[in-house]
Amino acid sequence: MYDRTFPENAVTAQDIKIEAKGVNVHYGDTHAIKDVSVDIQDKTVTAFIGPSGCGKSTFLRCFNRMNDTIDSARVTGDIRIDGEDIYDKRVDPVQLRAKVGMVFQKPNPFPKSIYDNVAYGPKIHGLAHTRADLDDIVEKALRRGAIWDEVKDRLQAPGTGLSGGQQQRLCIARAIATEPEVLLMDEPCSALDPIATGQVEELIDELRRDYSVVIVTHSMQQAARVSQKTAFFHLGNLVEYGDTDEIFTNPQDPKTESYITGRIG
Amino acid sequence: MPFYWTLATILGLAALGFFLGRHRAVASVGGERRKLHSLRKYYGINVAMKTLTPALGLLVVWLIAQPVIVEWRVSDLVAGTDVADTRVQTLVMVDVRRVANGLDTAVAAGVLSEADAASLTADSGTIRDTLGDAGVALGSDVSAPVLAAAQRYRTLSARADLTRTVAVLAVALLGLGWSLRETDGDFRARNVVEQGVRGLLIGAACIAILTTLGIVLSLVFNTIEFFRIYPASEFFFSTTWSPSFGGGSQLGILPLLWGTMYISLIALAVAVPIGLLAAIYLSEYASKRVRSVAKPALEILAGIPTIVYGLFALLTVGPMLMKVFGDGGLGWMQAGTAVMTAGLVMGIMLIPFVSSLSDDIINAVPQAMRDGSYGLGATQSETIRHVIIPAALPGIVGAILLAASRAIGETMIVVLGAGAAARISGNPFEAMTTVTAKIVSQLTGDADFSSPEALVAFALGMTLFVLTLGLNVLALYIVRRFREQYE
Amino acid sequence: MTDATAAAALAPKKSIITVDDRTQKRNAAEKRFRAYGIAAIAAGMVFLVVLLGSILLNGVTAFQQTFIQVPVYLDPAKVDKEGNRDPEEMAKVSTFGYKPLLIEAMAELVTERGIETEIAPGDMDALFSSSAVAQLRDRVLANPDLVGETVSFNILAASRVDGYLKDRVSRDSVARDKNIDAGHLDIVDALRAEGDVVKRFNWDFILGSDASESRPEQAGMGVAMLGSFFMMLVVLGLSLPIGVAASIYLEEFAPQNRLTDVIEVNISNLAAVPSIVFGILGLAVFIQFMEFPQSAPLVGGLVLTLMTLPTIIISTRAALKSVPPSIRDAALGVGASKMQSVFHHVLPLAMPGILTGTIIGLAQALGETAPLLLIGMVGYIATNYPDGISSGFLDPNSAMPAQIYEWAKRADPAYYERAWGGIIILLVFLFAMNAIAILLRRKFERRW
Repeated sequence: MYDRTFPENAVTAQDIKIEAKGVNVHYGDTHAIKDVSVDIQDKTVTAFIGPSGCGKSTFLRCFNRMNDTIDSARVTGDIRIDGEDIYDKRVDPVQLRAKVGMVFQKPNPFPKSIYDNVAYGPKIHGLAHTRADLDDIVEKALRRGAIWDEVKDRLQAPGTGLSGGQQQRLCIARAIATEPEVLLMDEPCSALDPIATGQVEELIDELRRDYSVVIVTHSMQQAARVSQKTAFFHLGNLVEYGDTDEIFTNPQDPKTESYITGRIG
Repeated sequence: MPFYWTLATILGLAALGFFLGRHRAVASVGGERRKLHSLRKYYGINVAMKTLTPALGLLVVWLIAQPVIVEWRVSDLVAGTDVADTRVQTLVMVDVRRVANGLDTAVAAGVLSEADAASLTADSGTIRDTLGDAGVALGSDVSAPVLAAAQRYRTLSARADLTRTVAVLAVALLGLGWSLRETDGDFRARNVVEQGVRGLLIGAACIAILTTLGIVLSLVFNTIEFFRIYPASEFFFSTTWSPSFGGGSQLGILPLLWGTMYISLIALAVAVPIGLLAAIYLSEYASKRVRSVAKPALEILAGIPTIVYGLFALLTVGPMLMKVFGDGGLGWMQAGTAVMTAGLVMGIMLIPFVSSLSDDIINAVPQAMRDGSYGLGATQSETIRHVIIPAALPGIVGAILLAASRAIGETMIVVLGAGAAARISGNPFEAMTTVTAKIVSQLTGDADFSSPEALVAFALGMTLFVLTLGLNVLALYIVRRFREQYE
Repeated sequence: MTDATAAAALAPKKSIITVDDRTQKRNAAEKRFRAYGIAAIAAGMVFLVVLLGSILLNGVTAFQQTFIQVPVYLDPAKVDKEGNRDPEEMAKVSTFGYKPLLIEAMAELVTERGIETEIAPGDMDALFSSSAVAQLRDRVLANPDLVGETVSFNILAASRVDGYLKDRVSRDSVARDKNIDAGHLDIVDALRAEGDVVKRFNWDFILGSDASESRPEQAGMGVAMLGSFFMMLVVLGLSLPIGVAASIYLEEFAPQNRLTDVIEVNISNLAAVPSIVFGILGLAVFIQFMEFPQSAPLVGGLVLTLMTLPTIIISTRAALKSVPPSIRDAALGVGASKMQSVFHHVLPLAMPGILTGTIIGLAQALGETAPLLLIGMVGYIATNYPDGISSGFLDPNSAMPAQIYEWAKRADPAYYERAWGGIIILLVFLFAMNAIAILLRRKFERRW
C-alpha cells in the first residue's frame, strides 16, 4: 500500500534505493570507513557482514545520519536516497529519519505503554489527526510487526515489561509506524534467543515486500537466511558486494572466503 | 594524679609494652626471627594495644559517669530546697557545681587552705567575697545546703579521681602483664593485631550511628522536657508565636512552618525551572567548551557559604526589591527583609544543587533511549520532552525533594533575609520567619536552658529533623528505584 | 482509515530536500526549547556575576582605611606628672588622660594648615577613632623617651570620616548624624588636599581583632581567623582518620549484615541533616552534657567534624572504589593479609582522592555558620588573640563566618562594609582550598 503509485511489476531488482559513493567516516583520529561505495536496491534485504569492529554498523548509521549525534564523527562522500543527497545542507535529518527507520541492536522500548511506544513516531510527525487515526496506525504497525496478537489485550502495559523478542518486534513496529521507506537494522537479533530470532527473521522477510531493508549482522547464517544481497566489510573497507547466494557459494575475494569458512572473524 | 598524668602514664606503659613484647617474642625463639609466626613488630603492637585499649576505655567511661554519679550522691543534700520541680533542681545543681569549682579555684590560688574550704560554713557570709578574691564571681549569696552540697561534691570528686587513677593504672598493668605472658614465637600476633585494627575501623564506622543517636537523644529528651511544661497540642496547633521571657509565652509552630514552607516554595519555584533547564541544556545541547565553562561556574554557586547568601539577601537583594516593590515603587513591601528576598536568594543557592542532581539523573537515562527516539525522526527537544524527562521523572522528583529538604533546613539566609515576625500571611513581600531562624533566636538569647522559651527550640529542632529526614528517606528511595530500573 | 492518513500514505517519495511546514514548526519549537536552556544558563551566570560583583564592589573598600597624619606634642605635664619617665608610673595615666593631647594636636594641625572652621577645638575628637588615643598611649609606654617631644602619629580616622572618603557618608546623611557635623567634613576635605588625610591599605583589617560596636574602623578579622584555624585543626585531625577508617571498613571489610546496612543508611541520611541540627547536638551534648566551655574552637571543631564526616566518608569510599580489584588480588596473591593489602596498596593509591575529598569537606566546614551560632561563637567580641596552643583550642573565640554574621547584625553601616570585606577573605581561603583540591586531583589523577 505504501507504493501505490508504482505498478507492482515495475519494482524490479534493478531499482536503486540508496546510492553511496566514496563514503569515508572518521571518529576523531580513527578512520572507520574507507572510501566505500555501494548501491542498495529497493524491496530487497541487504546484509552487511564482517568481523566486529569492521565498520558495518557505522556505515549503516550514515544512511539516516545517526552519526550526527556523535560529536567526534565526520562523514564525507556522497549518499543519495531516491537520487537526493542526504548530506545536502537543506536536508533536515529529522525528515530523513522519518523516511529511513532504524531498529537497534538492543531492544530499546521507551519507558511508556506499548501503545505510546508505537504512537510516538506518528504523533511527532503528525501522521494522525484524530484519536481513531492513531489507533488505526498503531494497530496496523503492531500487526505488521507480527506482535499484535500478543499485545492487543494489554496495549496500556509498559513496553519494558515484554520479553526480549517481543520488545524487539515492538521496536520494529514502532519504526514501521512512521511509514518509512527504508528500514535499517543494526544486529537486531544479537540480544535475542533463537526462538525470538526466528520470529524476527521471519518478520524481516515479510517486510521486504514493502521496504528496502538493510541489516547488519555478525551471523553469516542469518545473512544467508534473510538477505538477497550481501556486503562484506573488513577493517573499514568494503571487500565484496553481490548476491547473497554468490557470496556464500563463490566468493571472489580470499578474505571473504576466509571469513565465511571461519578462518577470520 | 590529674587526668593528663594518668593519660601520659598509660601511654608510657603502652610504649614500654611495645618494646618488651617485641623483645620477648624474639627472645622466645632464641633470636631466630624466621621462627616467629608474625613480624616482630606485631608482637609489640599486640602488647601495646592490650595495655592501652582497656585502660583508655575505662578512663573514658569513668569520665562520663563520674559527674553523673557524684551529682546523684549529693542531690539529697539540696533535696530539701525544691525537688518538686526537676527544672529547679537542675538549676541548683548548676549552683553547686559553680561553688565547688569556685572553691577549687580558691584553693589553687592560695586564698583558702584545703581545710578551710572543707570547713567553711554558709553563715560566715564571706564566701562570695572570698571566692571573689580568687577571681570567681558568684551571682548570688550561697545558701547553706548548696555550700554543704558543694563541699560534699568536692570530697566525692576527689575520692573518685583518686580511685579512677588507681583503677585505670591497674587495668593497664593487668593488660600489659597478660599480653606479655601470651607472647611467644607461635603466638599469632598479626592476626590478633589485625582483629584489633578491625575493631578500630568498626568503631570509626559506628560514629555515624553515635552521631545520629546523639542527635535523636538530645532532641528527644529536651523535647519531652518541653512538652512537660508546655502543652503539645498548643505547640502543634496554635497559630500564635509570641515568646516572652517573662512567662506567658505562646509558642505555636504553625506560623513558623508556614514561613518555612512559603520561603521554600519560592526558592523551589526559582531553582527548579532554572536548575532543570540548565541541566538539560548542559547535558544534551552544550558543546564541550560551553560545558567546561558553565558547569564549574554554576558549581561556584554551590561552594559559596550560606552566610554569604544571607548577607547578599540582607544587603543587596532586599534593597533591590525595595526599589521595585517598596514605597518608592509599587508599595507592596515595607522592609527589605521578606519572604520574597529570602526565597529568591535561597533559590539561587539551590540552582546548582538541582542542576547537578538532575544532570546525574539525565545522564543515567541510557543512550539507547535517545537513539531510539532520534531513529524515529524526533528532534532533540521532542526526545527530551517526550522520552528523557518522562524516563528521568522519578529521579528528578527525588532531586526536587532533596532540594526541598535543603530549603527547609537552611538557616543563615532566613536569619538574615526573611525578617523576624512570625505570621501567617499570603503576601510574599511581608517579613515572616522560619523554624530554623527561631531555633537560632531561642537558643542564642540569655534565656536559661530550662525555660519553655529555650526548650521550645528543641521541639522545633525535632520537627525540622523529622521533616527533613522524611523528605530525604523518600527522595533516596525514589532515586534508588529509578537507578535500579536502568541497571 | 480516514482520508488524511490515506493522503499521507499516498504521497510516497516525499522529497527530503524541501523542508515541509510541519518540520519547520517542529524546528521552531526546537529553537525555542534550546533558548529556554540558554536562558536558564544565562540566569545562573547573571546571578553568579551579581553575587560576586556585589561582594567585590562592597567589600574591597574594607581593605582600605582612612588615616590622619598628625604631629602630637607629648606634654610631660599630662602623661608623666612625676617626670621620672618610669613606665610603671606612667601606666597610671589612662587613655582618658591622653585624649586632650590628641584633640589639641588636631586643632593645631587645622590652624597650621590655615583652615577656617566653626568647629570648636574641643569637638575635634569626632575626626579620629577613639582607638587612636590608646595607640598614643601604647607608643609612649613602649618608649618613654618620646615624652616631651613632638611625634608624628598616623592615627585611624573616625568611622564617619572614613565613610565620607568612601562615599558611604554624604553631607545629607551627616545632617542627621550627631556624631559628626558638616564642618568636620570641610576640615577633612581641606586636610585631604594637604595630604594629611590619606586612604591606605589596612593590614589591621586582615590581621587585627574585632572591636566594640562603636568602633568599626578598628575591627579586623585576625582573631576570628585564628579561631577558624584552630577549628579546622580539630576537624582535620578528627575527620580524616575517622573518615578514612570508617570508609575502609565499609568498603573493604564490612560483611553484608544489619549493622552495615544501618551504618550506610545513617551516613547517607546524616549528609542531608540540616547543619543547624548539628548545632543543637553540639549544644546539648558537648556544652550541656559534657560541659565543655562555650564559644571554644574545640567544641566548634567537634561539631563541624560530625557534620563533615559523612561528606568525607562518601568521597573516601569513592576513592577506594576507584582502585581496581586487581591491585588487591595482586597483594593477596603474594601472601599479604587482607589488612596488609589494604594498608600497603589500596590506601596509598587512593590517597590523592581521599585528600581531595577531605579538603573539599574542610572548605565546607570553614564556611559553615549556623551550628556555630548555637554553641556561642557569635555575640562575643573576639578582641584577644589566643596566647598559646591550648588557649587557642579552649578560650572563647569567634570564627570567620561567625564574625561576618556578627558584623552584619550590628547597626552601623560601616560594619556592613566590613562584613563584605570579611566575605572576600573567607572566599579567598575557600577558593585556595578548592584550587589545591583541583590541582591535587589533576596531578595524581590515575586512569586504570
